[in-house]
Amino acid sequence: MKKIYAFESRCLGCRLCEVYCRTARFKSKDVVKAHKRKNITSAIIVEEVLGPNNISYFALQCRHCKNPKCIKACISGAMYKNDKGIVRNDSEKCVGCLSCILVCPFGVIKKNDDGKSVSKCDLCADFGEPFCVENCPNEAIKFLNEGEARALK
Amino acid sequence: MKKYLIIGNGAAGVNAAVAIRANDKTSSIKIISDEEFNFYGRPLISYYLSGQVKPENIYYRNEEFYKSKNIKVLLDTKAKKIDTVKKEVLTSLGERISYDKLLIATGSSPFIPLIKNLDFNRQKNVFTFLTYKDSIRLKEKITGNSKVVIAGAGLVGLKASEGLFGQVASITVVDLADRVMASVLDKSEADIIQEHIEQKFINFKLQMSICEVQGKSSVSEVTLSNGETFDCDILVVAVGVRPNVVLAKEAGINTLRGIVVDEYMQTSIKDVYAAGDCVESLDLFSSENNRVFALWPNASNQGEIAGFNMTGAKIKAPKIFAMNSISFFGLQLISAGVISDSRSSGVFVDSTKNKLHKLNIFNDNLIGFVLINDNQRAGIYTSLINDKTNLSALAYDITSKDIGFNVYSAEERTKKIFDCNGGY
Ligand SMILES: Cc1cc2nc3c(=O)[nH]c(=O)nc-3n(C[C@H](O)[C@H](O)[C@H](O)COP(=O)(O)OP(=O)(O)OC[C@H]3O[C@@H](n4cnc5c(N)ncnc54)[C@H](O)[C@@H]3O)c2cc1C
Repeated sequence: MKKIYAFESRCLGCRLCEVYCRTARFKSKDVVKAHKRKNITSAIIVEEVLGPNNISYFALQCRHCKNPKCIKACISGAMYKNDKGIVRNDSEKCVGCLSCILVCPFGVIKKNDDGKSVSKCDLCADFGEPFCVENCPNEAIKFLNEGEARALK
Repeated sequence: MKKYLIIGNGAAGVNAAVAIRANDKTSSIKIISDEEFNFYGRPLISYYLSGQVKPENIYYRNEEFYKSKNIKVLLDTKAKKIDTVKKEVLTSLGERISYDKLLIATGSSPFIPLIKNLDFNRQKNVFTFLTYKDSIRLKEKITGNSKVVIAGAGLVGLKASEGLFGQVASITVVDLADRVMASVLDKSEADIIQEHIEQKFINFKLQMSICEVQGKSSVSEVTLSNGETFDCDILVVAVGVRPNVVLAKEAGINTLRGIVVDEYMQTSIKDVYAAGDCVESLDLFSSENNRVFALWPNASNQGEIAGFNMTGAKIKAPKIFAMNSISFFGLQLISAGVISDSRSSGVFVDSTKNKLHKLNIFNDNLIGFVLINDNQRAGIYTSLINDKTNLSALAYDITSKDIGFNVYSAEERTKKIFDCNGGY
């Protein structure tokens, strides 16, 4: 299964991936409008790593675990794995209890501002390649099979 | 071809059935349930009560799910007796169902305290709050004039109050403890939750119990331990649950407070397994004492492990610890592990109004945390507890700033990203 892998040495920390993640979640897919909408939560997170005399960055999002803790913890049946192995959240069923946030070891599920559901990476499954990957200016995140990713690390 | 039989159609039972099917494509899998509804999110019954969850959304998985996995569910059927020698289960319909491997996943029942003159069989306005049926009956009974009394300020009692809010005339919550959610929270955290709920005009009577009720065919008045009496149109009893062990006990299976299982979720009798709210689990923080936990994630995990092991796998169940994520009127509480100050060598509290962030650290390990309205990335803390990670080996002091995945070294991060098994 293809997932998004981050390459820390290439990450500029520009957070464009976060902007495009929100765009992907926005109906019109208009980046400017999506950027202004504060109620759309990005499902990719850019983190800082403070070194002795430098700062580096990496992007992180759902790893679509083999046996996801978030699905086991879900009290409503909103969280599920589809036949391609992608862990998805059905916002119609989600009640925003945040049990998934309680157990996600990567801390990559986020509460939506409306408080009624959560945002998580679904690899842009409904429309082709992940937006964040396509729009990363420095190829710091790539959409790869595990073998390809290991070879590049 | 084997015959798998599961008693109980809850989180534990259904996750077991799914795990069995994943490992065994052909055998027969049957689930017996004494409820009339298909598997639903038990914690959603308060959301049904409030109207936030519509009846069609209370079901955890759709019909297609069971069909595609060829899992047969017998609703409205109670398991009356287990014969572990003949390997069969007698049902309330008089049927004998034989099994090769049996799972007992019977969950828990509401505990009913001794209250003078209380009679669930006669009084039509007293309720427990554990099943979808309870919630449906309660919703039918309430009116805008109802004066509701809830016994129990734990998670279930408070969720019931939230579900009723706005639909009744008044809500009074009574509890013996000096605080809400006493089994989960310390006073300082509990007070934040209580004050928030009080803003919704829900009254609390703490350090008190209901000792008597008045009324024959329905309760009209309750008397508290301090002598105070007040009107009551609806009484909800939610003071806690007890594991359903009788069926197992009568079959000669070892039980204490819960059903005793080994680390593979097998009971004292071969080929009989048990999982979920009905068992005693190994506690991560106590080597001597097993504990009964009534938690959804634990029930799902144990059910899955039992299911795998019933098909011949040998997977050990992990030791567990308490964890909760719950909201009351928009106030979000996330907590895990040991919370009580008494065990800790360092508690770091950072509380501004309605926001609290407490980490409980003991011997270089995170052993518990409480977050109120501060939920981002809580799962990383939960992992630190679960993995018993040495805090001194992390990239920074976790009390010094908001936690991120950057708390791990680059090497550790890469390892976790490639492993990502999830698991227990
Ligand atoms: C209002 C409410 C809110 C909750 N909120 C949360 C929450 O936010 N987070 C959390 O972690 N947990 C929560 N819980 C607890 C959680 O629902 C339970 O831990 C979980 O449902 C346990 O699953 P289980 O499969 O072990 O048992 P159950 O869900 O109780 O399922 C057992 C089933 O077996 C049936 N049964 C019993 N005996 C027999 C028999 N002899 N024959 C046939 N069938 C039988 C029972 O009727 C029941 O349907 C909540 C509970 C309630 C009531």
